[in-house]
Amino acid sequence: MAQIKIFGYADKISVKPGDTIQFHVSADGTSTAEAHLVRLIHGDEHPHGPGFIEEEIDCVANGTWQVEKQFTQVGSFLEVTDPDRKLALDGSITLCAFIWPTWPDVGHRQCLLGRWDNDRNHGYGLGINPSGRLEFWVGCGNEVDYLQAELPLQKQAWYFVAATFDARSGRATLHQEGVVNRYNSLLGKVAPVEYRSHVSEMFRFRQNNLPDTPFLVAGSRDWHALRGHFVSQLYCGKVDRCGVFDRALARAELDAIRAGGKPPSDGMVAYWDTTKGYTDRGIGDLVVDIGPNRLDARGYNRPVRAQTGYNWNGRNDCFRLAPDQYGGIEFHADAMIDSNWKATKTLELPETLRSGAYAMRVRGGDGAGLAEEYIVFFVRPRMPTARIALLFSTATYLAYANERFATDGQIVQPMAGQPPTISEVDIEIYENPEFGAGCYDTHADGAGVCYTSYRRPMVNMRPKYRIAAFDLPWNFPADLSILAWLEHKGYDYDVLTDEDVHLEGVAAMAPYACILNSTHPEYHSERMLDAHEDYIAGGGRFICMGANSFCCNVAFREDEPWIMECRKTGGHWIAWAARSGEYYLATTGQMGGIWTGFQRWGQKLVGNTFAGEGFAHSQPYRRMPDSYDPALAWITEGIEGETIGDFGLGNGGAAGIEIDCYKLGFGTPPNTKIIASSGGHPDNYIAHDEEGAHAHQGFSGTHNYILRADMVYFEAPNNGAVFATGSIAFGSALPIHGFENNVSRLLSNVVDAFVRPGPLPGSSNRPRENTGRLEPVGP
Amino acid sequence: MLPLEYDRSEDRDIIVRDRFDGFRREYLRTLVNPEVIEEHRQSALGQHSEKLERLLIYFRQRPLEQRYAVRAIEPFRRYQVVRLSGRRGVPPRLVDGAIYTSANDARHGLFLRCIRDLLET
Ligand SMILES: [Fe+2]
Repeated sequence: MAQIKIFGYADKISVKPGDTIQFHVSADGTSTAEAHLVRLIHGDEHPHGPGFIEEEIDCVANGTWQVEKQFTQVGSFLEVTDPDRKLALDGSITLCAFIWPTWPDVGHRQCLLGRWDNDRNHGYGLGINPSGRLEFWVGCGNEVDYLQAELPLQKQAWYFVAATFDARSGRATLHQEGVVNRYNSLLGKVAPVEYRSHVSEMFRFRQNNLPDTPFLVAGSRDWHALRGHFVSQLYCGKVDRCGVFDRALARAELDAIRAGGKPPSDGMVAYWDTTKGYTDRGIGDLVVDIGPNRLDARGYNRPVRAQTGYNWNGRNDCFRLAPDQYGGIEFHADAMIDSNWKATKTLELPETLRSGAYAMRVRGGDGAGLAEEYIVFFVRPRMPTARIALLFSTATYLAYANERFATDGQIVQPMAGQPPTISEVDIEIYENPEFGAGCYDTHADGAGVCYTSYRRPMVNMRPKYRIAAFDLPWNFPADLSILAWLEHKGYDYDVLTDEDVHLEGVAAMAPYACILNSTHPEYHSERMLDAHEDYIAGGGRFICMGANSFCCNVAFREDEPWIMECRKTGGHWIAWAARSGEYYLATTGQMGGIWTGFQRWGQKLVGNTFAGEGFAHSQPYRRMPDSYDPALAWITEGIEGETIGDFGLGNGGAAGIEIDCYKLGFGTPPNTKIIASSGGHPDNYIAHDEEGAHAHQGFSGTHNYILRADMVYFEAPNNGAVFATGSIAFGSALPIHGFENNVSRLLSNVVDAFVRPGPLPGSSNRPRENTGRLEPVGP
Repeated sequence: MLPLEYDRSEDRDIIVRDRFDGFRREYLRTLVNPEVIEEHRQSALGQHSEKLERLLIYFRQRPLEQRYAVRAIEPFRRYQVVRLSGRRGVPPRLVDGAIYTSANDARHGLFLRCIRDLLET
């Protein structure tokens, strides 16, 4: 019997009681699965903690589900809407495009553009053949005629390519010319590389078009007995302006297009001006046809827009400044932003659900290993009732979704200070591109992944998961230790997600007297960052529980919050680097990268941010003199001795993994106090110096005092306040000794003070009141 | 010195890397001794002596297809040592049948294998 595997996702990540949620499940080796709604309480199975804790919840969806194997279309491409079959051209034809292939020698056929049925060999196409050469072909079902260029295409070089076919004479001609300038390609003028090829041949027959074949850019139609129609022959690389004519264009006409001239209207069936429709606020998925038939094309799996085009001359770094030079649309054969599986179950959530972290647990067979899936989602209350909210970093979960550090990341072992610890599911996602990647991965063609989504299985947003690279619970499963602590302490709390804060702004946060975020609050859209700032400045009390906080700038479309865009640029701690001129988010038109690049350091918001990371070993904090200030002694009340957190599920200390520090020069509010601080981390902790200093000896843990987690506190206007732990490992120290330890005590001291109405303890010289006060918070 | 005809790729960088690593291995072999191995056995993670750190940094920098990893069969209970493929889609393969009962034991088993590779080449 085949191994049973169950994977799934939900259509929503944040819901309220009474909302409808859909579960999409794919199963191998079984046609039924047992589903049960559970509330998740603790996710780390480390034997020094309470272990995995879930609570089964009654609901109508519990029971046996019919499940089936579902297929996923991977790869990005454009599909042309052509209801009148204007592109079913049976006679003379010209196809032309500017292209920048990234993987011409991948070894299988890549279709650049055409109306080609790859299963039945009907239609026509222009592409790259398995030997890496430009090729034009026509098919009439039983036969295909091919014409290939004389030499292989160079990777990362701009070309103008065209195929003309004169149906009367049967003459097919390929045109291939480099359009390489000083900026736009991998190589410059000094490399003695031949780009040009012009070949011609007589074809034996004419193409024959099937009625329903779609015209595609960067792929072609295919068929499989179980799946039905799908797209194969996926292309890796960029396409800039491209078109189709119903006559064979003359060489001079093609040369004129290559030189940047207007394409001739005589015989034009479609011409996609890939630079059309750009706005100051971003670029959508529609690619506009400026020809007579308005055959617009739509991107599938989010082809990457806002990329440099064939005529990029290096003067501008953003599509907003020179849209004409940003016609590049980049395709990847393994791009995937939505599994698009059929819904397996639709559930109207019980009105009685309390706010929390939930999952639909789906088990096939014995439920062992890959036969068990947890489809995680978060339930907010219909109306906020608690004074405390726990904010789950769903943007960070999206960024790290299905990362493959351990198996693919060249730099990861030196960073992690250890070999990876790989589990079965890591191997499953390494073997199978249908899971899609996250923003820490590169596509197989080498480009960084800039789109990620939760409408596909996210195997690391599950309880019990341990990240292979670091052998730790990571993000969501680690964040559950904070939730379990709130449960243990008996606090009344609601949960929130990054998505709520992005969609609703500060209104999502304002009802709460005190908000705790998660262990790794790294990724924030502008609206999320603004909401945090307004919440704190308006009198909110915020506990930043983690580290690497508020570092990265990301974007979501209004109508598709499940898809996040991330461009990696700036800083020297990024998983991949956006190419020259491709730093701006196509989603919003804002520069991507790190918030440091906008003078919005995390320190400016919560007093500290990224000092560095090292993962393999954690340290305790040592109390600093500020903790003995009588006005601040309430924070450490009941704590004996100098050391805080010399224990934890995160490598034996409360300070570590990734760590944040105080820095006045990066906007730490001047009234900020350092309550405790770590230091002396091992040398695989390397400082992420954002001042642009040269890397040099002595950057690492045992040599560098900057590598430390600072526990900081400051009062904000309107009785607001911030307490920040500066450490990812902090949350994982809470469960030690049955949640009774000095880290837990310290956090209780802070939470208790923060939820109490009125001025903060010890507050004698509070800062000046702001005018932007929030409405009174809490019930 | 490696022979000049040693030429397996268009990428000449690999030739330089391999020669550099050749020199590096020559030195690293002189650092291997029972104390270093015992130090690692006692503490696989965290700050180590200069000698052990040098060895570990080298092992962690191997090209992906030459690296080992720990395979968690059952977290906190059973582990094995595998070798990475370095090729997406190709799973790691088991190097032997040894089962370790803690991740640190497996890390040490992996370390011993790296030491053996170093001494044999
Ligand atoms: Fe991070």
